[in-house]
Amino acid sequence: MSIIRPFRADDLFRFNNINLNIWTETYGLGFYFNYLSRWPDMCCAAQHPNGRLMGYVLGKAEGSPHDFHGHVTALSVAPEYRRLSLARILMNFLETASDDVYGGLFVDLYVRCTNSIAIDLYEGLGYSVYRRVREYYGSLGLGPGGKDEEDAFDMRKPMSKDMYRRSVRPNGRDVIVSAHDVS
Amino acid sequence: MSSLTLERQIRPIYDALDSGSHKSALVTCNKLLKKHPKNDHLKALKALALTRAQKFEEAIVLCEEVLATKPTDDGIINALMHALRHLGRFADLVKLFEDAFKQQPDNDEFGRQAFFANVRAGNWKAAQLLANKLNKQFRNDRYVFWGITCTFLQANDPLTAPEMRDILLKLAHRLITACWKQVEVHPDRLYLHTSILQQLGLYEDARELLGTESGRFFCARNLSCDHLRREIMKAGGWQMEEGGIAEQRIVEKRDRNWLEFVSILDATFLPSTLHQSNLPDLAQRVAKTRDLFLKVSEQDGSHDRTAQLALMELEKLSVVHEVPSEPSRLLNLLKHYFEVLGDKAACYEDLRSYIDLGSEELHDWITLIEKTTHTPSSGIALRRSINAHKLLRYVLSATQLTVDQEGIRATDLVREYFEALPLGKDLPKLELQPADDLAILAAQVYVNMFVLDNAMAHLHNAVVILEYASKKSPQSYQIHLELVRIYRLLGAPQLALDHYRLLNVKQVQNDTMSYFILSRATNFSLAASGDLAYVSECLESSHIYFSNSQETSEFIVKSFNMEKYSQIHELVVFEERLDNSLQRDLVKIEHVRLRISHEPVSSELVDMELIELKFIFDRLHHDNRDLEVLPNYQPRGQPSFLSQTTLFGKEPAGGWLSIFLKIYIKVLSGASDLDLSVEDDKLLVGDRPRQSYNPDAKKPLMERLAVQSADELSELTEDEVALFHYVTDLTNWLDPFHNFLRPRGEATKLPPKNGHSSHDGASADGHGRKPDDAPHISEPPDSILSYFKNAYAKFTRAVTASRPIYEILHIATLAQEALLLFSICTKRFKDASIVRIHKLGMLVQHIKTLRASAIDAVRDIGTQLIKISELEGTSDKRKQFVENCIALQTHAEITHEYVLDVGKKLTESQRKVMEGVGRGIERVCKTPM
Repeated sequence: MSIIRPFRADDLFRFNNINLNIWTETYGLGFYFNYLSRWPDMCCAAQHPNGRLMGYVLGKAEGSPHDFHGHVTALSVAPEYRRLSLARILMNFLETASDDVYGGLFVDLYVRCTNSIAIDLYEGLGYSVYRRVREYYGSLGLGPGGKDEEDAFDMRKPMSKDMYRRSVRPNGRDVIVSAHDVS
Repeated sequence: MSSLTLERQIRPIYDALDSGSHKSALVTCNKLLKKHPKNDHLKALKALALTRAQKFEEAIVLCEEVLATKPTDDGIINALMHALRHLGRFADLVKLFEDAFKQQPDNDEFGRQAFFANVRAGNWKAAQLLANKLNKQFRNDRYVFWGITCTFLQANDPLTAPEMRDILLKLAHRLITACWKQVEVHPDRLYLHTSILQQLGLYEDARELLGTESGRFFCARNLSCDHLRREIMKAGGWQMEEGGIAEQRIVEKRDRNWLEFVSILDATFLPSTLHQSNLPDLAQRVAKTRDLFLKVSEQDGSHDRTAQLALMELEKLSVVHEVPSEPSRLLNLLKHYFEVLGDKAACYEDLRSYIDLGSEELHDWITLIEKTTHTPSSGIALRRSINAHKLLRYVLSATQLTVDQEGIRATDLVREYFEALPLGKDLPKLELQPADDLAILAAQVYVNMFVLDNAMAHLHNAVVILEYASKKSPQSYQIHLELVRIYRLLGAPQLALDHYRLLNVKQVQNDTMSYFILSRATNFSLAASGDLAYVSECLESSHIYFSNSQETSEFIVKSFNMEKYSQIHELVVFEERLDNSLQRDLVKIEHVRLRISHEPVSSELVDMELIELKFIFDRLHHDNRDLEVLPNYQPRGQPSFLSQTTLFGKEPAGGWLSIFLKIYIKVLSGASDLDLSVEDDKLLVGDRPRQSYNPDAKKPLMERLAVQSADELSELTEDEVALFHYVTDLTNWLDPFHNFLRPRGEATKLPPKNGHSSHDGASADGHGRKPDDAPHISEPPDSILSYFKNAYAKFTRAVTASRPIYEILHIATLAQEALLLFSICTKRFKDASIVRIHKLGMLVQHIKTLRASAIDAVRDIGTQLIKISELEGTSDKRKQFVENCIALQTHAEITHEYVLDVGKKLTESQRKVMEGVGRGIERVCKTPM
C-alpha cells in the first residue's frame, strides 16, 4: 500500500522520518535540486496513503558513451516501513529508467563494506561487487569496523543493453582501487 | 602599462578569491587600484572580495559605481555578477545584463543571462519578453518554451490579478499549440503542454495529447507525465477507462502502486452513477472489484499488502456510499491482515484508519488482538506484540483511561521492553533496537497519566525509561524527540537541547524541526545572564533561509537550461514556502526577544529589527513545521502525544506571531526615528524581500497594528495576553510624544549631524516644532503599573502553589520582557536637552516613578527565583525523584544509581534554569536604563 510517485521539491519538508538516522545524510538544498533539475525522472518517492513519506531513491545517468550508466545516489526507507519490499520497488524504478529512458549499460551504487544488510539486499536484486574503493568514506575516519568501514564496494547490475555482461566481473571484491580513481 | 601586464597582475586576485584568501585579494586590489584608480575590472573584483569578507556596505558602493558604467567586458561582468548574487541584489543583476544585452544585441550569452537574471528575481513578465526576443534573434525552440513557461508561471504567481490568470494561460496555450508540431517533443515539454491544458480545464485536449504515440510513450516511462495523466483522467470524468487501465497494470504487469488500486476504486464508485436507481449497478461493480482484489490478495499472500488494504478501503467506501455489505466483512479483513502481516512495522499505521467497527465487531477484534502472546521470543513475535499493544491502545475507551489502569499498561510495556532487549544485543551500536517501540509506547502512557492527574512523577518515570532506551538505541530519533518534549514540560531546557542536538538536525530540517526546541525559547533562555545557547540555536537554524535565497533560484535557472519544465513551478513554490516560512519568523521573534535581554539596545538595533519585523508583518506565511514526525499512540478521540506535551497546551502559530509582531513593531517604532510610512532601502543589503501575496498587507500599517482578533489572541497564554495589553497601553500613552519628537521629512533618512537646523530660526529643534506644540502630558494608564504588580502577585502564587517550573519561568521571563520593552519605549526621554526644550519634565517624572516600581517588582521575582532554585538540585529533590520511580527499579537494569543519576541531571538542569533566569533578571534590573 504505497504510492509510487515522482520525488518533489516539497518532499524536503517531510522527509524527516526517513532522514533522521545516521545512514541517511541530509544535504544542502543544492544537492537535491541538482538532481531534480537534471534527472527528475531518476528520482522517486514512496508515500503512505495517509501522506507520510516512506522512502525515496535519487539517481542520475552519467558516464562516457562507452560506459553510460545509471547511478543510485541515495536510497533510504524509513525504519517503520521496512520489510515491505520498498527498496526493491524503488530500485526497480531506477533500473527501468536507466534501461528504458537513458539506455544505460548498467546501474551502479556504492555501499560501505561493513553494511552487510544492504550488500545482501543488492546481491538479491542482481548486483555484484565490481571493485572495492579504498577510503571512499574516509572523511568519517576508521570506525570499529576498521578498513571495511571507510572502504566502499562499487556494485553493478548489467542492463539489457549489456547483453554479454561486460560491465560486471566475478572477482570484483579482489579488485581494489583508490577513491581518486572513481570520482 | 600594457593590458597584458595588467592581466598578469590581476590573475593572483582570482587565485586568492578561488582559494578563499579574501584579505590577500583585497590587498592586491587596493595596490593595483592605486596605480589604476579608474579600472572597472579591479573595482568589480574588489567588490567581490569585499562581499566575501562580509564588508557589504563598501561592496555595494563599488558595485553601484561599476554598474553605472554599463559594462560589457566578460571579466567585469562575471566579477560583478558574483558579487551581486552574494549580496542578494537580483534587481541590479537584471540591470547589469539587460544593459549589456542592449549594447550588444547579437550576444546571445548576454541575452540568456538577462533572461536568467529576471528568472532569479521572479520577473516572469520581463523574462517572457526576453525569451521572445531571444527567439526572434537567435531562433531556438528552447527560447519558445522558456517564454511559454514564464507565461505559465506568471499566471500561477499569487501576485497576478485573478482576471489576468486566464488571459495568460490562454496566451501560453496559443503559443504552445502554434509551435507544437514543429518542435521535438520530450517528456518535460509534454508535461508543460498538458499542465496548461489542465489549468484551462481543456481535459479533452489533454487526453488527446497524452493519447498520441509520443504521449503514451512518455507516460509509460515518466512518472511526472503519468501522474498528470491520472489527474486529467479523473478531472475529465474518465474514471471507468482509467479503472480498466489500472486493472490491466495490476493483473498483467503486477503493478502494486496504490494509485492503481485507487483508480479502480474511483471507477467503482463513479459519482455520476451513485444515484439510488443505479444502486444495483453499483453493488455489482463493488462485487466485481472485490473479486479482483481478492484474487490479487490471494496471489500476493504476505509478499504484498496492497490488495488486502484495497479490500478494506472498498468496504470503507461501501459504507460511505451505503452499499449493502456484511458487517463482518471488514472485521474479517482486519483479522486476516493481522494474521498474515501483523509482524510488519507498518501494520498499526495501515490498519488504524479502518478500525471503525460496530460494538460487536469491535469486541471480536479486541478479543483477537488480546490473544497475541507478549513473549518476545523472536523479532517477528516482538513486532507482532508491539503492533498488538498499539492496536489495543488505539481502541481504548475513555472509561479505560484511569491512572491506575494506565499504570498497569505502562508497567507491562516496560517489563516487556526489558524482556525483549536481548533480541537486539548483537546488533551494532548504530542500529535501532527492535524493542524501542515498547519504551516509546510506555513513555506515551506515562505522559497520558500526567495529563490525567498532573503528577510530575509520571514524567519522571517516562524520562528514566526513555533515557535508558536512548543509551541502548542512540540513533532513535523518536526517543530523543519524546525526551525533548518531556524535558521541556519538566522545566529542564538544557537536557532538551542536548537531546535535540544529538539528532544532528541540519539544512532544511531546521525549518521543519526547530519548533521542537525554539518554540517559546524565551521561556527557557539564559541569554540575560550570558548563556547564549538558545540565541546561537536561533541563528544556526536560520541559515537555511539564506541558503534558500542564494541557491534555489540558481536551480530554477538550471531547470530552464536543462529544459526540465516539470520541476520549475515546484521549485518556485518551494522557494516561496521556505522564504515565507512561519517557523522562520517565529524564530526571528524569539531571537529579537532574546537579543534585547543581553545586548545593549542601540538605535541601530532598533531600526534594523523594526525594518525586518515590518517586512515579516506583510508576509503571508506557510507552516512547514513537521507536526507528524513524532508518532502518536494515544487512543482515538484523545489528544495526541504532541498536543499533550505542548507547553500551556498552545503551540505558537500565525496568530501568536502576529500579536508578537504587533508588540515589537509598536515598541520599536516608538523608539525609532524612522518614519513608519517610509521604507529605508539604504539599510538593506540585498533586494527588498519579494512581497508575498497577503491581501491584508494593503491596509495601512497603523490600522493593522491597532486590531487583533480573538483567534490570534487564543494562541497566547493569559500572561502573554497581559503583556500585549500592557504594551498597547504603554505605546498609546507614549506615542504622541514619540511622534512629536521624531525627526521629520528628510531628516528621517539622514539624521541631523548637529541637531540644529540652519534654515528655520523659529524651530527650537531643527524639525519645525515648537515647544508649545508638545502633546499634553497625561497621567500614565494604571494598567502599566498594575501589569508589574499583577505579574509579581501571580509569580508568588505560582511559587506557593508549586506550579510547574515552566509556568513559573513563563511569568518571570514575561515580566523581564515587559521591563525591557518599557526601557526601549522610554529611551528617547533620557536626553535631558530634549526634555528641557519641550518641557517634558513631568512626563519624565512619571516614567521614573513607573520604572522604579517596575524594577522593584521584577527584581523581587528574580531574587525569589534564585532563592527557590536553591531548593532544586538538592538531595531531597533527588530522593523524591528516586522514590517516584521506585516501581521501575524492580527491573535489574534500572538500578538505584542509574535512577539517581537521571534525577541528578534533571534537578540540576531545573536548578540551573531557575537560577540563570533569576540572575539574568537581576542583571537586567541593574543595567542602567
